[in-house]
Amino acid sequence: MRVLIVEDDLEAAAAMTRGLAEAGHDCRTAADGELGLAATASEPFDVLVVDRMMPRLDGVSMVERLRASGDQTPVLFLSALGEINDRVSGLKAGGDDYLVKPYAFAELIARIEALARRRETGSVQTVLKVGDLEMDLLGREVRRAGQEIDLQPREFQLLEFLMRNAGQSVTRTMLLEKVWEYHFDPQTNVIDVHISRLRAKIDKGFDRAMLQTVRGAGYRLEA
Amino acid sequence: MRLPRVLRTTPFRLTLLFLALFAAAACAFLAYIYLATAGEVTRRADSQVKAEMRSLEAVYARGGFAALNQAVIERSSSDHVLVYLLMDPAGHPVSGSIGVSPVKHRDRDEVWASFTLTETNPDGAVVRLPARGLQEKMPGGEFMFVGADVGEAEGFVVRILRAIWGAGALIIVLGLAGGIVVSRDVNRSMASLIDVIDAARGGDLGARAKVRGAGDEYDELASGLNDMLERLERSIGGLRHAGDAIAHDLRSPLTRLRARLEAAMIEADAGRADPKAALHQALEDADGVLRTFSAVLAIARLEAAGVAPGQALFDPGLLAADIIELYEPLAEEKGLDFRAELTPSLSMKGNREFLAQALSNILDNAIKYTPTGGAVMLRVRRRSSGDIEMSVTDTGPGIDAADRERVIERFVRLEHSRSLPGVGLGLSLVAAVARSHHGHLELDEGPGGAGGPGLRVALVLPKVG
Repeated sequence: MRVLIVEDDLEAAAAMTRGLAEAGHDCRTAADGELGLAATASEPFDVLVVDRMMPRLDGVSMVERLRASGDQTPVLFLSALGEINDRVSGLKAGGDDYLVKPYAFAELIARIEALARRRETGSVQTVLKVGDLEMDLLGREVRRAGQEIDLQPREFQLLEFLMRNAGQSVTRTMLLEKVWEYHFDPQTNVIDVHISRLRAKIDKGFDRAMLQTVRGAGYRLEA
Repeated sequence: MRLPRVLRTTPFRLTLLFLALFAAAACAFLAYIYLATAGEVTRRADSQVKAEMRSLEAVYARGGFAALNQAVIERSSSDHVLVYLLMDPAGHPVSGSIGVSPVKHRDRDEVWASFTLTETNPDGAVVRLPARGLQEKMPGGEFMFVGADVGEAEGFVVRILRAIWGAGALIIVLGLAGGIVVSRDVNRSMASLIDVIDAARGGDLGARAKVRGAGDEYDELASGLNDMLERLERSIGGLRHAGDAIAHDLRSPLTRLRARLEAAMIEADAGRADPKAALHQALEDADGVLRTFSAVLAIARLEAAGVAPGQALFDPGLLAADIIELYEPLAEEKGLDFRAELTPSLSMKGNREFLAQALSNILDNAIKYTPTGGAVMLRVRRRSSGDIEMSVTDTGPGIDAADRERVIERFVRLEHSRSLPGVGLGLSLVAAVARSHHGHLELDEGPGGAGGPGLRVALVLPKVG
């Protein structure tokens, strides 16, 4: 995957590049918004990681200009500003996700991959399929190997998110934000209990566990 | 050259403006009086002349030319204020007190004229007096002229004019003096405010303007200024306090982190231990520090903002139901009797995200500290006062009455609260969220049970409107 990192903190950009290269992604960096726009104009990227506060052209203005020019490349904002209003203004400007500094590396990679993937599966699907697990979004039904699984509404949403990101790590924070729509950090890992409930429903009685725990990152649904 | 300060003030400028307006009005008024008076003087002279002319006409009608001549001679010689001249049809003077008629025309029956009378005073001085007269043609073709000296009346007008000038000068002098007095007074009132502003600008936020108690606009301004300074001082004090608290709360975990890294390095150097485990531990420590940092920052921001931003109307019961849905599996896994009592269709105003976090913190603590087999109850209701109460009651160890107060303090020292059983950093944030909604946090003893006296934490938020 080709990722452009627009960040004025060169040391942070270098660490990100190393980490993303380790995860198998190809990175370019740009030190401010102007250079970031120039880079997007010269070659295509799968995901842009944009710092909010930069000299010359800040991240929000850069993304506004990018969107005005018709470029729809997914954007992940990075920011030291974590207030709700800051997040809302970032998303309004055309950002697709928002990550507050400091962040865990696993979180950054998981979000970048989720953004790239969302772009690939842009078409509207009514049935999701991962291995022998099948989800009918219209009929609100879930089957594994033809066997119907009864899920609570929230469990359904949770599984839908995991299925849309199948094969990739999703973090607890991502689940809390995308499934529950909370942007705070609960003191206890409440998500773990929800996952283990879901796991009991979809993996119980099957040889192979699909819902896996990724150490230091979160969870992954494997086909 | 700059004008003296008193002359540069707004009140003085206003005084000048009003003075100009008043002077214009006075001029217009006096001009009207002048015109009216001068007109009246002329009118009176005219009517006097006219009346005399009627009486002479009557004499002529009764006795003809001879009688008129007789009357003119009589009246001219007596000490009469009027002047007379009787002329034959050719215009030659016959009798009267003046030699020549001021009216040269002989073609019209009635002619008015203004002229000047020359008189010689007893002391020999020659006086020239303004006068008005009427010349009429008698039925027999003779001309009769009657004039009146209007000098005395003109003198009256001159006196009025003089009074006008005097009054004008007086108005200007009094107005300017009044303006200076008023602007001095305003200046004095403003000076105390300006002193306070200068002091605040210099960094002294403790300075306060004097409120005189007159209840006027200066008092309003002074108390407004004092109020503003009060808030500024409090908010800066809060930030300073928050800074101290952050430093205090981060120093110990950072010290711990540093010590652990140092020890790991020494052990790794000696080849005794695997540095990976130490790195893993250090990462967890760093995450802990960051969590503390975020929480303290969130509290400090709420304290500094005063009022929670982004408030909207919503149903607190639905908010609680969402949080319950999030925590219910956790409570079940721990073997707690978890119940909820939610009054439906309540309405309140607030920042949904902050309140969700606050309720989540309270519930999290309750579940964390209530031993297995205990009970946790979440209740959302409207108090009889109309306030909205979101409370969580547990059967855990509770908090000593002496320590409860401290948790609700303006900015809780986190080290204290961490040492209290059943209270994490979360409760400080909950208290800050409550305050930022003009609400408060109540801590009470719970129903009691095997786990201890229990705890009841109530987030009380004011009703809408």
